[in-house]
Amino acid sequence: MSRRDYLFSKFGISILTLLFVLVLDFVLFRVLPGDPVRAVIGRNIRISAEVQESLRAQFGLDKPIFPDQFIDTMGQWARGNLGVSWSLRRPVGEILISKLWNTLLLIGLGQILSIVLGVILGLLAGWKRKTPFDVGALTFSLIAWATPTFWLGIILLVAGSAWFGLPTGGIVSPENVGKPLYTIIPDVARHLVLPTLTFTILYLGEYMLIMRSAILEVLSEDYILTARAKGMSHFQVLVKHGLRNAMLPMITIIALNLGFTVSGAIYIETVFSYDGLGNLVQTALVKQDYPLLQGAFLLLAVSVIVANMLADFLYTYLDPRVKAN
Amino acid sequence: MKLRYTVLVWMTVFALILSACGGGAPATDVPATDAPAAGEGGVLKIGWLGEPDTLNPAYAFLSEAYTIFDLIYSPLVTEDASGNYVGALAEEWSASEDSLTWTFTLKDGLKWHNGEDVAAEQVAWTINAVMVDPDGWAALSGYVGGFSEVTAPDEKTVQIVTEYPIANMEYRLSFLYAVYPPDFESFTTPEDLQNFPNDQPIGTGMFKVNNFDKDAGVLILDANKDFVNGAPFIDQVIYQKFDSADAMIQALKVGDIEVLSDVPASAFETVKGFNGVTAVSIDGRSFDELIINSVSEDNDPAPTGNPALKDPAVRLALETAINRQDVIDIVLQGLGSPGDTIVPPTLGGGFWHNPNLSVPEFNIEQANQILDVAGYVMGADGVREKDGMRLEFRLQFDADSSNYPRIADLLADWYNQIGVKATPEAVNADALIASTTAVGDYDLVIWGWGSDPDPDFILSIMLTDQFVPGGWSDSGYHNPEYDQLYLDQQAAVNKDERQKIIHEMQEMVYNDRPYIVLYYGKFLQAYRSDRFTGFIESSLGIDDDASLGQVKSVQ
Repeated sequence: MSRRDYLFSKFGISILTLLFVLVLDFVLFRVLPGDPVRAVIGRNIRISAEVQESLRAQFGLDKPIFPDQFIDTMGQWARGNLGVSWSLRRPVGEILISKLWNTLLLIGLGQILSIVLGVILGLLAGWKRKTPFDVGALTFSLIAWATPTFWLGIILLVAGSAWFGLPTGGIVSPENVGKPLYTIIPDVARHLVLPTLTFTILYLGEYMLIMRSAILEVLSEDYILTARAKGMSHFQVLVKHGLRNAMLPMITIIALNLGFTVSGAIYIETVFSYDGLGNLVQTALVKQDYPLLQGAFLLLAVSVIVANMLADFLYTYLDPRVKAN
Repeated sequence: MKLRYTVLVWMTVFALILSACGGGAPATDVPATDAPAAGEGGVLKIGWLGEPDTLNPAYAFLSEAYTIFDLIYSPLVTEDASGNYVGALAEEWSASEDSLTWTFTLKDGLKWHNGEDVAAEQVAWTINAVMVDPDGWAALSGYVGGFSEVTAPDEKTVQIVTEYPIANMEYRLSFLYAVYPPDFESFTTPEDLQNFPNDQPIGTGMFKVNNFDKDAGVLILDANKDFVNGAPFIDQVIYQKFDSADAMIQALKVGDIEVLSDVPASAFETVKGFNGVTAVSIDGRSFDELIINSVSEDNDPAPTGNPALKDPAVRLALETAINRQDVIDIVLQGLGSPGDTIVPPTLGGGFWHNPNLSVPEFNIEQANQILDVAGYVMGADGVREKDGMRLEFRLQFDADSSNYPRIADLLADWYNQIGVKATPEAVNADALIASTTAVGDYDLVIWGWGSDPDPDFILSIMLTDQFVPGGWSDSGYHNPEYDQLYLDQQAAVNKDERQKIIHEMQEMVYNDRPYIVLYYGKFLQAYRSDRFTGFIESSLGIDDDASLGQVKSVQ
């Protein structure tokens, strides 16, 4: 099978997955108990039954779920329209994009830092197995991986705000709201320090551990012995033969994490009052805001699918065996 | 040796990052001189755990939106800190002899935020708009029921004609904000009107919106220098949204914000101890209660409550065996006051609450005696019984609350001492709604209410016709006499007469005990008194418009 055929079949599977997700997306939130109109109006008690009915009709909830609501929703999606949020009364697409930027900034930065550090430290730990460095790295990884997100976040928040004057929450300082982006970069950066640090510490452990065990496995292979026998330097062996092969499991785990990244790190976003997708999904769920939930879920599903496709694509470069069979 | 040393270093690094920081980070309270000054008035930053859903009054449901509306818009009349209604747009008003025509004279010098004069016609316009399109103005439509005509006979006068006398007219009007008609005139469908974000609202209030950035969680209000009652002292108010109460408390401590609009009870003592911070506990409008199944046997479906609960003696015993003060001290850390009627003492500055009810003292012996006299005999397993009715009840509570499980434990323990077996069970709120209202599939439930400033709503939860799907009655209380009194109080335009009826209704509900009201809640706020002073501590909160009008920067 050529690389093209391989990618083509992967692409086909992705499309099928997406179609399945679309249907699931529609069904999933409608099986939840409760009344979305009541959830949106909350305890606003003076809203008469007639007005509630009118809202229900406006949302299309007066029609049967199947086929009417299903066909309406699918038709809307086919036209690329995600609808208007019931609770926030803004177009879902617009809300998602604005929150997506916030989330990508935070999580993207955190991922890059934890991946780079994780790969380097994991590689070194594996290479220097059973040295103090290795033991230390291993201990750190295990503790970091096991630390509850919320706890770490609040500890860093208290320490960072009290000792270093870092902001206690938000994305920019109120006085900088609405100013052009380039003038407020330092302020945004200050707001990013603590959430990014929390994220990095939490993921660093996982990446380090996986990288370490991957490199250990690779280093025991015969071709490493051969490479050494040929007289290659430590560094050459590690980077040319070791790293590339050890990256395969890393790519898998990174792709998986990247996909879910878009859902935002709910805990981190909550502790640092960071307005990202995770927070948005949580609010939408409480409000039973179907259009917003469906939109967010779709975005999450698409990003997981795309991240997986990307991983498949990278495999064909990193591992010739993939395209051979 | 070397290995052990390195491990130690790594561990120390880790410990430093984590625990050391947390170990009661030393108080680095920001000195008062750090107060921000964007002018001599200063900028007041308020932290809250939410934000308005929209600034469009037609479709705003969250209380945060109404907090902002009170600052940027004005209704004809508004509630003051002592629970009376005072003029906002109106200078004075009166009702006709038959109470069907209300006439309001507007104040002089009213101006919109854009500098234009306010005409009576424009004030009437909003109320008319809500009446004509209740579907579009969904959030305000409930306040115009019974209005038949709103007109502006001249530049300064607004006249409202109603179909029947409306006793709580002022309360209803306090939500009907005058909006700037040109902003709202063009919408043709309810959906278009509701989708209008109104991010740059033009109002008449003490503050005007500078910026509402929903993606940064920041809402900035500027002082309205032309405000009819005089400009506020501060230049700006900034609301900042927090998603975690812990983070918000830390923000107050380090001085990122100056006001906490809502302090969790568990953190109140901590916040009180902060340097330069004043924490206030204010009697609120909420209460928590024990609901006793009072659903009529004729109900469809038939209620599943233990029939023994219909016995007034059992109800009285259940109340006598509750130590309200213990509940408050143990569960609420003292932040509450003992409850009796469903109308909290804060409504109307205490005007509506009936203070003359005789609440039984907590007395286990007495409770036992009541059950003895009523013929409930203690069984071998410690549970009383009469004619095959065992005093064994389900004791459910809303699982969202952190207080209710502890209250349930206390109650179960006291009840155990009087031969009543109550089994606590946490139930999700949706499931509770499904098993109580219109159904009656429960024995005892611990739950709570927040009341409106006017008693009308909280009295309505005991109406027979509210025990239907989508209604507000969960107890199933049914009393035709009460239902009639409810209608009477709605039409009693004379305040004293209305008070009399409402007192009687409270007494009725209290004696029949569909609810045992456990306590009235407090609501807790805090502010940096080293930076700002002049807050008014009332049941409306220190961030109410009247309070923010008085607040001054400490210089």
